[in-house]
Amino acid sequence: MFEKILIANRGEIAVRIIRACREMGIQTVAVYSEADREALHTMLADEAVCIGPAPSRESYLDMERILSAAVATGAQAIHPGFGFLSENAHFAALCGKCKIAFIGPDASIIEKMGNKSEARRTMMEAGVPVVPGSRTPFFDAKEALEEARKIGFPIMIKASAGGGGKGMRLSESEDDFLQNFKNAQLEAEKGFSDSAMYLERYVKNPRHIEFQILADSHGHVVHLGERDCSIQRRHQKLLEESPCSAICEELRRRMGETAVRAAKAVGYVNAGTIEFLLDQDQNFYFMEMNTRIQVEHPVTEAVTDLDLIREQIRIAAGEELSFSQEDVVIRGHAIECRINAENPEKNFMPCPGTITNVHLPGGRCVRVDTAIYSGYTVPAHYDSMLLKLIVRDKDRASAIAKMRSALGELVIEGIDTNIDFQFEILGCRDYVEGNVSTDFIPAHFSRFAEIG
Amino acid sequence: MLQGMFKKTYTLIGEVHQVQQARKAPEGEKPVVPEGMWKKCNQCGRPIYAEDVRQQFYICPKCHAYFRVPARKRLEQVLDPDSFVEFNETMPFVNPLDFPNYEKKVEAARERTGLDEAVVTGKGTIEGMPAVIGVCDSRFLMSSMGHNVGEKIALAVEYATKEKLPVILFACSGGARMQEGLVSLMQMAKTAAALKRHHEAGLLYVSVLTDPTTGGVTASFAMLGDIILAEPGALIGFAGPRVIEQTIGQKLPEGFQRAEFLLEHGFVDRIVSRPKMREELAKILRFHEKPDWRRIFLPPGTDERSKAHPEDVGAKPEGEKRSAWDIVTLSRSPKRPVASDYIHALFPDFYELHGDRYFKDDGAVIAGLATFCPKGKEEGIPVTVIGQEKGRSAKENQLRNFGMPSPDGYRKALRLMKQAEKFGRPILCFVDTPGAFCGMEAEERGQGEAIARNLFEMSDLKVPVLSILIGEGGSGGALALAVANEVWMMENAGYSILSPEGFASILWKDSRLAQKAAEVMKITARDLKEMGLIERIIPEEEPAEKKHVEKIARTMGEMLEQFLPRYLSLSGDELARQRYGRFRKI
Repeated sequence: MFEKILIANRGEIAVRIIRACREMGIQTVAVYSEADREALHTMLADEAVCIGPAPSRESYLDMERILSAAVATGAQAIHPGFGFLSENAHFAALCGKCKIAFIGPDASIIEKMGNKSEARRTMMEAGVPVVPGSRTPFFDAKEALEEARKIGFPIMIKASAGGGGKGMRLSESEDDFLQNFKNAQLEAEKGFSDSAMYLERYVKNPRHIEFQILADSHGHVVHLGERDCSIQRRHQKLLEESPCSAICEELRRRMGETAVRAAKAVGYVNAGTIEFLLDQDQNFYFMEMNTRIQVEHPVTEAVTDLDLIREQIRIAAGEELSFSQEDVVIRGHAIECRINAENPEKNFMPCPGTITNVHLPGGRCVRVDTAIYSGYTVPAHYDSMLLKLIVRDKDRASAIAKMRSALGELVIEGIDTNIDFQFEILGCRDYVEGNVSTDFIPAHFSRFAEIG
Repeated sequence: MLQGMFKKTYTLIGEVHQVQQARKAPEGEKPVVPEGMWKKCNQCGRPIYAEDVRQQFYICPKCHAYFRVPARKRLEQVLDPDSFVEFNETMPFVNPLDFPNYEKKVEAARERTGLDEAVVTGKGTIEGMPAVIGVCDSRFLMSSMGHNVGEKIALAVEYATKEKLPVILFACSGGARMQEGLVSLMQMAKTAAALKRHHEAGLLYVSVLTDPTTGGVTASFAMLGDIILAEPGALIGFAGPRVIEQTIGQKLPEGFQRAEFLLEHGFVDRIVSRPKMREELAKILRFHEKPDWRRIFLPPGTDERSKAHPEDVGAKPEGEKRSAWDIVTLSRSPKRPVASDYIHALFPDFYELHGDRYFKDDGAVIAGLATFCPKGKEEGIPVTVIGQEKGRSAKENQLRNFGMPSPDGYRKALRLMKQAEKFGRPILCFVDTPGAFCGMEAEERGQGEAIARNLFEMSDLKVPVLSILIGEGGSGGALALAVANEVWMMENAGYSILSPEGFASILWKDSRLAQKAAEVMKITARDLKEMGLIERIIPEEEPAEKKHVEKIARTMGEMLEQFLPRYLSLSGDELARQRYGRFRKI
């Protein structure tokens, strides 16, 4: 087992990883930017190394500085968290070169799954269903239009290197196709310096269902059930839950097996997520594979009683999974709400600033993952997520009630947050009845329609 | 606020033993940054991952500065894989001055670089096209040119001459090799002489200037390319900047002697980024393959002469007859398409070349290589295209000088016409100028001489020359690109001894009588065709504007399909004689 781990991240996930390490008796090294001198992760870790100025490009994305910090402090492994360098194949490879374990899959797998067209091809070869779409990337809008006619409208235009909704456009018909293609491509070029685009049939009102995978380096792969992440705004998840109320035991088994097959097909090792679209007729299609720990991993932890970060570290240290698929039991129902420093009434504008007062909810099966504290100043340079509130109860209705209660108790003063917006979602009849799809937010919050 | 308030990681008693064991990890497993994995960029000072740089053309991924490329890496970047065959892999060491410690120095450089000398020569292919190639390596005694460097280059060029192959040399050098004294200086003459023979054999030499190209190398093989390319930001000069500063006692301005400076001053055809180098070299080689024009223009079994002088496509002007003054106004209209409009419509692959090799690259003249493909054919023949270019905006006109060429523009045109002659390419000139530039600098550099030289040299070119007047044909400035086998005019173009305003002012001392002057000067296409001064008129259904360019270019293309085989079937001497006769009869 590792003696010391460097956490190449910030915010609540860095704190989350530090906690797991502390519990395992592993020493921790935090890295921080000049804007994060007083961040919780900086203060909580056993050691902390400043790696540069506030802009992430010069700190949390600077591979050289992070690797130097690891070497200087003698950290044997780096946990990248999510975002930043977590899905950077190059970084994973560099860690290897410096004899530092990268807590995540091998660089080649990150690279393979990071490339949408290649991931799709790999999955098709492994017999994993994918949304009908183009087989080869397109660079030319007119050529793409011809293919789009074959696949049928409406159609999704996606950047091959894309993610987080960037470089992605929905084209309703031939009339708006060329414009949308060009816009998406422009975004892709700007965001990822890659103009390869591909097309996919648009699945109407789908659910976003993802399966959590754990795979060790000894060939064992298990899935830990699904998360329903359909509540999204502009492809940013807001609220996640597990299990999904629309999935029966039989479908769960089929989807889970498919997810395991997908992970095996690429020789996956460590924690990963297979994202599926689930249409209204219970057909599911592979969307993409995330080769990192995800923001919403606590809902899976809540219903499986596993510590995913701990498992990640154990896997990276070469240990075998201590349980098999049969040992995985989903108990009760868990919900997570993401609390962001943003103002929903002002086009979800990020609202950095100083938090004057915090009150966190508590009680049985109420979990708060956060890095904020009273007096903490949220820097403007990074993601606006402040806190994740996770609750678990015996069934979905009880979990909703618990979440409403917990949200009602959560107080963050000094900056604007989306707490009330989350509260409103939980009050929607369709949400309570489980009628959700990725169109839920635009459909139920028409007051944001023109902006959201 | 919470600083120092948290307890450090607590290790469970039972696990202490385990942890202690982990501490005894073998030395080899300790995290360590391998030697040389990170390098510091000498431009931006930031650390960069060396492997990245090697894979990305030796360009800093952060500030995009260019690093010097080892010769063998350069060959890999440019040539088809596994196509390289090296010449003279080893040469016996020479020390003409018995210079102390020289051999040791060379030995050390050999050791460090794995190279025998500062240049690697051989042959290889680029996109399947063979070429002899030489690459200098700055790591080897600053790639200075001693006997062995000169010898290897001369041998490679001689081989190319014998095998009728193009030569590509990537120059990079501090200059002559001091340790070899005058023997080193002689390599300048040796390499230049070998290239002269290669040139006389009608073969292509492409020189690529990389950072730094200075001294005796600049003053010999580097500057002798038919086409000279340079890498962005490369230092190129004869005397080094430090020497110049010491001599003149002044600080040199930013960018002095950089590739961009040389482009502006007419010594470089193009600046090519490293990732595009292979592609551009391939393009240049392709322009110099000599396809059989008969196969391209004539259906199998036709005799080219039977096709001579067919009915003119656009002999008859279709538009209404306009007054001469109307045509003067139209020919000057800012809405009228400019040379580059027609060039890009006719030649999608137009490859612009720059510079007169004396003083400047004149923006009023654009020139380059292109392929003319007959309608419906994939294949075509290379042509040299030259045009007088007007701007469309105030900013463009600053660059284009309102289409008024300076002597440098005429010299650029002539340089490329002579090059076209060397490679047997037809020449197509687009004429559109109010006149040659009247300015002090133009006189200082010999505007009259430049125009005269063009008339003189063009009269005897051994390749077909066609000039098309597309707008204003202002006097000597227009004629300097119109000593052609045929001269065509657009229906609403003008061609005159002088502007009507100038004409009226000289003859009648009143420039306001320009309108009257226009009518008597006989400057329209119809008049000039009647007088036998031009061969054909390109019709304009409506006065040409940008939106008509495609259609007009199609007509021009059809007419070119008749012109080219008709003149390509003549020998060089016949072409020169025909052109001589054309002007002699006037």
